[in-house]
Amino acid sequence: MKLKKVLAICLASAMTFSLAACGGTAAAPAPAAEDNTAGEADETEAAEAGDEDAAEADAADDGAEETTGEVPTYTQLNLADYGDVSATIKFLHHKTDRAEDGTMDKMVAEFNKEFPGIKVEMEAVTDYAEDSLLRLSTGDWGDIMFIPAVDKVDLPEFFMPFDTYDNLSAELNFVDNWKYDGKCYGIPYMANAQGVLYNKAVFEQAGIEKLPTTPTEFLDDLKLIKDKTDAIPLYTNYAAGWTMGAWDAYIGIVSNGDDTFMQQKFAHTAEPFKDPGDDTGIYNLYRILFDAVANGLIEDDYTTTDWESCKGMLNRGEIGTMVLGSWAYAQMQEAGDTPENVGYMPFPMTVGGKQYVNAGGDYNYAINVNSSDENKLASLIFVKWMVEKSDWCYNEGGYTVVKGGKNPDMYAAFDGCEVLSDQPAKEGEETLLNDINAESELSFNAGGNDKVQRIVEAAATGSESLDDIYTEWTQKWNDAQEELEISVDY
Amino acid sequence: MSASANTTVKKNKRTFGEWLRSRDGQRVLVMLAFLIIPMVLLMVFTYIPFAEMVKFSFYNMKYIGARKFVGWKNYIKVFSRKDCFGALKLSLYYMGGSVVQLSLALYLATILSFKVKGGDVFKGFMFFPFLINGIAIGFIFKFFYTRGFVFDTVLQWCGFQLDSLPYWLKDRSINNISLVGTSVWRYFGQNMVLFIGAIMSVDNELYEAAMLDGANKFQQFRYIIMPSIKTIFVLNVILSISGSLSAFEPPYVITDGANGTGTYFVVMHEIAHTQQKVGLASAMAVVLLLIIFAVTILQKLFFKYVFKDGTE
Repeated sequence: MKLKKVLAICLASAMTFSLAACGGTAAAPAPAAEDNTAGEADETEAAEAGDEDAAEADAADDGAEETTGEVPTYTQLNLADYGDVSATIKFLHHKTDRAEDGTMDKMVAEFNKEFPGIKVEMEAVTDYAEDSLLRLSTGDWGDIMFIPAVDKVDLPEFFMPFDTYDNLSAELNFVDNWKYDGKCYGIPYMANAQGVLYNKAVFEQAGIEKLPTTPTEFLDDLKLIKDKTDAIPLYTNYAAGWTMGAWDAYIGIVSNGDDTFMQQKFAHTAEPFKDPGDDTGIYNLYRILFDAVANGLIEDDYTTTDWESCKGMLNRGEIGTMVLGSWAYAQMQEAGDTPENVGYMPFPMTVGGKQYVNAGGDYNYAINVNSSDENKLASLIFVKWMVEKSDWCYNEGGYTVVKGGKNPDMYAAFDGCEVLSDQPAKEGEETLLNDINAESELSFNAGGNDKVQRIVEAAATGSESLDDIYTEWTQKWNDAQEELEISVDY
Repeated sequence: MSASANTTVKKNKRTFGEWLRSRDGQRVLVMLAFLIIPMVLLMVFTYIPFAEMVKFSFYNMKYIGARKFVGWKNYIKVFSRKDCFGALKLSLYYMGGSVVQLSLALYLATILSFKVKGGDVFKGFMFFPFLINGIAIGFIFKFFYTRGFVFDTVLQWCGFQLDSLPYWLKDRSINNISLVGTSVWRYFGQNMVLFIGAIMSVDNELYEAAMLDGANKFQQFRYIIMPSIKTIFVLNVILSISGSLSAFEPPYVITDGANGTGTYFVVMHEIAHTQQKVGLASAMAVVLLLIIFAVTILQKLFFKYVFKDGTE
């Protein structure tokens, strides 16, 4: 009898043990051999940097050529010369919707007309931001992928540099997102301009003739929409989560007109969430959301919003406005019978008499540094073709990546606005923003959806004031600065 | 005496090869051969990753990039952060739910184990939710609770006014109860089937004897059924309680852990994958394991006393 009891306890604990371990393993898998390779990569990186310094006197091109061996750099590669290359490459991407509707296959078929020898296999991943990081750490992902949230120091370990920044930026826009040590590891497949989606018919019905240019005007207009139409003035898309995190995209250039703020100053700022008092700044950005929720200018039950159905609702005029990047424009147009009513306007915030627009690269193509040379070459050809010849960027309603390329008509309302993109971080501070984001857990532009959801909750339930929230954010920001020993300069 | 000593000496003198061919040796060999596959699987997929996780909990690390040893700092953080242990309070909702779930399952199992018209159909219907994928259930209930959708419509048929109904997921005083409802709905059928299985194994003669002695249905339940299903009952309780400590699917799928519904697991997931603080999340997992250990041992002690007078 006693033995039985002991056995039962052992069994029960073994079961809970294995259950808990399951939970743990989900959070645990990571490469064990990482440390070694990281060390090696650092050394070679240092050696390369030395080479470059020496070669710099001659020409930047030569330096780049040395480091990539037989594979030419992006700017050296002339697509016309490589029609007979044959290889099989694999492309890991996040555009599940485009994989389903056949756009991806069509583009590859088009590509194969010019490059019949290159076979492109594609894999679309639904939960890309997380899954791709895990795939990256195992090394088993293919030849081309969109760069997930990695630290810039780790770039040389995973990816092949496309070219030097100086060469590449002469031909392409927005290539500084993944610039490290003077080289570019990523090229955006399209670029987004950050504005606000709205329904033109709803605005007309509400009697709004001039697009709002300040948060106060915007809130007044939302009030008009509520009073005069049946549409939901501002749809938060609270439940989807990431759609709330989209509000973070406006904290830099849009809210203060400073293109060095996001990457260079933000981490060094003592009180980034202080009210500047002139209807600008991060304070008034989230105030729009807070006040809209507090005054009932959003959907009735925000906890059960549905991303897929909101597209049609905006198209049909059941929603007045949504705060999302320009990439969403094409999807909203496709979702209903009145695409002509979908409009895109600059964010309603005016800094020093001018409206600013933040344009920046979306996900970036990158090529596996561990692929064979022929796969690297084929991948490079594919990426260059996709960027310059596929028209993917234009079709998605993106801001042009190729310098001097055409822009879609949707940007008509952006005339007269200053279009800027964030300056890269200072030398040696490339990982600073990532570090402070992670340490403070506010994660601006890095999946920090819950902090924006909290604003909605606070405004709806009256549990906290906006100032309470900002006080806590400032506290977390300052604690993180202290923990990471970041100097407070602004 | 001396003879037996002699045989042991003889045995010791056998060579390894001889021993291996002997009956004893063959038995050990067969045992090892059968054990090695499950043991290897268990080691590779459970214990080694677990040991790795315990190691991670002492590091400040992301999935990729450099790691830094920080000693007990992650554990101190687990105990000093508000969100980690605050999330455990939500487990009380799920524990309350598991009490409801087990009583409901036990009640229905007792009824269904006697002859009931259409008993198998009822069993089938009630067991059915357990067969659905947890993520699918999440999506079903997301729409179920949406304002003016399924649940509200059904309640309106019953004469409720839409205006007097709460927002099932928005109202913070009831949204956790709504979520617990989904997990009760999903798991009580499974508990019930386990209970029925155990009750069925009770010898029918016992009921007859009890009836002859004048015992009523409740007394039969109390003194025949309960003691016979003790093991299954304790197992179900332990699984439900540890399950409620590690509730994950309903809050993750339906509300994404927002609006005050983030359970310990959801917070852990957020810290591990969004904030990329893998060390801290590993420490949280280890702490949860210890809590589950403690709770399980407490339950065992508790049931030891509960069932003592039942069997005597």
